[in-house]
Amino acid sequence: MRGLRSTVERLDRPSAYFSNRNKRRRPDKDQRDGDEDTNMQPEPPADDPLKDATTLYVGNLSFYTTEEQVYELFSKCGEIKRLVMGLDRFNKTPCGFCFVEYYTHQDALDCMKYIGGTKLDERIIRTDLDPGFEEGRQYGRGKSGGQVRDEYREDYDEGRGGLGRAIQQAERLREAERPDGREADYGRLR
Amino acid sequence: MADYDRRQGGGSSYNNSKKRRYNNRDDDDYDRRGPRRRYDAPPPHVRIRKQLLSIAENPMRPWHEEIQSIASLFTENWEDELLRTNFVELILQLAIEQPLKTPFLAAVVLVANTNKPEIVDILLGKLTADLESKIRQGDWRDVKLYLKLLACLHNCLDGEGVFPVLEELFSRAVDLQTASSEDTIGTELVKIILLTLPYIMVAAPNQWQQRAADLMEKTEIIASEPHALQALIEPYHPESSEENQSPSMSTIGLLQSQLQAEANNGWALPCLPRPWDFPANGTEEPPKLSGAAKHALRPITVPQIVVAGPRPLFPEIYFSVYPVQDVESVPSTATAAASLIRDALLDTINILHYNRNITARFLIEVDCYFAPRTFAARATPFDRLRDIEPPKSTWKPEDVAVDAVFSQLFQLPNPEHKLVYYHSVLTEACKLAPAAIAPSLGRAIRYLYRNIHRLDIELGNRFVDWFAHHLSNFGFTWKWTEWVEDVDSSNLHPRKAFITGAIDKEIRLSFAQRIKNTLPEPYKILIGPEQEKDVPDFKFANDQTPFATEGREIAALLKRKAPDEEIQPIIERIHALAIDNNLDPLVASTDVFVTAVLHVGSKSLSHVLAAIERTKDRLTDAGAASDAARSQIINAVMAYWSAQPGVAISIVEKLLNYSILVPSVVINWALVSYAGATRGEALAKAHVYEMVFHTVMKVTGRVRQLVQKSTEADAMVDNETRDVEVGNMRGLFKAMEDALTAWANGSKDEMLDTDGDGNSESEKLVCRWGERWLRVFRRRAAIEEAFLLEATKKATKAAAAADSAPALPGAVATEDAAIDIE
Repeated sequence: MRGLRSTVERLDRPSAYFSNRNKRRRPDKDQRDGDEDTNMQPEPPADDPLKDATTLYVGNLSFYTTEEQVYELFSKCGEIKRLVMGLDRFNKTPCGFCFVEYYTHQDALDCMKYIGGTKLDERIIRTDLDPGFEEGRQYGRGKSGGQVRDEYREDYDEGRGGLGRAIQQAERLREAERPDGREADYGRLR
Repeated sequence: MADYDRRQGGGSSYNNSKKRRYNNRDDDDYDRRGPRRRYDAPPPHVRIRKQLLSIAENPMRPWHEEIQSIASLFTENWEDELLRTNFVELILQLAIEQPLKTPFLAAVVLVANTNKPEIVDILLGKLTADLESKIRQGDWRDVKLYLKLLACLHNCLDGEGVFPVLEELFSRAVDLQTASSEDTIGTELVKIILLTLPYIMVAAPNQWQQRAADLMEKTEIIASEPHALQALIEPYHPESSEENQSPSMSTIGLLQSQLQAEANNGWALPCLPRPWDFPANGTEEPPKLSGAAKHALRPITVPQIVVAGPRPLFPEIYFSVYPVQDVESVPSTATAAASLIRDALLDTINILHYNRNITARFLIEVDCYFAPRTFAARATPFDRLRDIEPPKSTWKPEDVAVDAVFSQLFQLPNPEHKLVYYHSVLTEACKLAPAAIAPSLGRAIRYLYRNIHRLDIELGNRFVDWFAHHLSNFGFTWKWTEWVEDVDSSNLHPRKAFITGAIDKEIRLSFAQRIKNTLPEPYKILIGPEQEKDVPDFKFANDQTPFATEGREIAALLKRKAPDEEIQPIIERIHALAIDNNLDPLVASTDVFVTAVLHVGSKSLSHVLAAIERTKDRLTDAGAASDAARSQIINAVMAYWSAQPGVAISIVEKLLNYSILVPSVVINWALVSYAGATRGEALAKAHVYEMVFHTVMKVTGRVRQLVQKSTEADAMVDNETRDVEVGNMRGLFKAMEDALTAWANGSKDEMLDTDGDGNSESEKLVCRWGERWLRVFRRRAAIEEAFLLEATKKATKAAAAADSAPALPGAVATEDAAIDIE
């Protein structure tokens, strides 16, 4: 309905990630890591699983950001019921995301509006409404155990372990083959 | 715009999206190779939406051009019914969502009226219906914004226009004010009346002076009388020595006197835009607005009983962080511009909470929405304002914008939205225009810092919290050197307390080493080595500590998740040892056990929560054993995490949730034990205030929830539970009152037995902290009492209504909670 649509975009809508994932599952490609801010759905459907969501997925954290830091920032939107840090599947160290659960849906929406896109530990973090944490989701789903977005990332990101892990691994392999292979053109690895 | 993409094909939205995407791709290829394809202009209703949405946003485009082009696009496509209805709906929606644009929308309507006068009738029909429903619901901001639109349209209204509605609203205000001096709806109505008048006076100049004067004569009594609740929400709490400082002005009191001055000056109101005035020497023939059709505004029904609506109403105070400067960088409180610009900005800020980026853009572009030359050029440095020649304005748009946000951040008892929203608006504004905004923020910070000793403590702590959060978004850079002389002052000094509080908050959002690197040398001693440790030392690791062996043993058992039976013998050993050493056995065992739990969970909050979860039965029993033992639980937590109070506060919060701790223990620990042990210095610590404040908010929040539920029809809460909780809350406030009064009077034992003469500098500072704390929690207590009173009234009203006839539609009693927190 036109009349209901606000004259400015709302920041407390779920990103395209959730709706896309429900439409078409592609287990080989984790779109969570994509940058898809193209949400244009006017109103979520009535049976929207996110309509009472109290949990947020928080992304683009530094691997070094602690639970306490997340608490300090996210408590500004309401008391936190539960915090689950995202861990590397293999070595159980933080891998740059977490789930924050509030007591109320409103707190979660406020967090989308006021904290998503601001900085924590000097990184712009991303928040997305989430239907709720389930056991197993705390682990990275990339081949190397971390998040998929950290596999083929070409930029050097100190807070997230430097270059993409797959790229690092490929480089290591090549370095092993050619001891003088310093000029590795990692840009071609896609 | 995205709009258009979605509605491509004039409303046939069931295009196969996949197919369309492919088509687009083909088009792109084609474009690159050959001449440009024929461009299909979007349909008129799409274009008009786009143009209305962005009206007045582009400072390079003259208003009259833009307005005329929209109006003619509209009248040329008059036959398009979709366009007509959309136009009306969008005007009304914009008026309440983007109120800075209202005068420009009105100008479009006025121009359209010269050609298609029917449009005004359609608009007024919808507008009056919406306005009446907003009045019934008590949605006073929307009422004000609709009246503003009507006021801007005054020139095409027949007869007396909006004056009859204003009169009607005023008579309700009088009834309410006569009934109770604490009424807040009446003052809100007067505010609305006063804020509507100036727009009438600029929309239809030289016609309504007498009517306005009559109305203002009547509002005078209500507006200039200080409200009964005003003393509670005063942002400053001056020391008794500076009592002669005049209190802040209420928004309506100020408005009344400003408008009086305007009336004496022929309602010049130079700041308000007059987009309906068309330049005579333009190339195009200006539209003949004066000869256009006039329309009757049907009488607006205002119910006999008006309600407070969804938002709590409180008297408001005009707050500015740029009050006394050698050059006026914001309008002085003597001019109506101060109130009118502030009002429009506050509406914008509070309405657009769902998109802080847009809010920030409006703030930065505020000069687009007021008369030309109202402000100095954007980003003019403050020092350069002095060079501006007199008739020209020295008002810095950035200062005006920042000032408006701070007035919300520092609004008592609470602003409309969570404080973090206002943080985020300032962050975005600073990101959008750092060179313009950052210096204004810097001057605001310096002003607040200079006045921190007289700021209400609740506001002082909001300042600490915002400051640290803001810096965390900008690489923690601040010119700390300018405050260096305060570093060595006593911890009781308000400025020093600000510095330590801010550094602690910065560390919590980052880490000690990082923050240390951002500070000049003299500040580095404020961050001790223990703050740089990830995990605090376990005191029982040192054999010198009493019960060291037992502490280590318990920790080891907890670590391997041993059953509770294995712990019990060690606890008993501690009891025996303590009795031998003349110590309280329960306190001793509680300290060892809690410290061991904390140590085992020291790795992260998840760890400590898991450890507490596993041991909560024993912890609960320990707390229940004696008051001293219960107090020892919080003692142990605060001691173990003393270098990282943020963690301690989180743990205490969780212990309260588990009912292992109860609120009175926390309050007693802070205001009696810890404050006593530190001879009052605890009162100067931001984290102690934070913990107490959170605890009190937890209690009041729960009481409110219970009261709310018990008034609902299908009451899930029995009155007994509610009354017990209300009693506990009152008891808590009473205990705080007693403890804090003692500190404020200097009659605290710990202060008396110092060897000084009872009049030393530090004792005075402690008394002052006591006074300031007292004020905060007296206010909180008063607010809660007011809430309870209102709830009782409502319950009686509802009961009476249930007994008699079924309630009339519109007489909604569920929404008039006068005060509500979050």
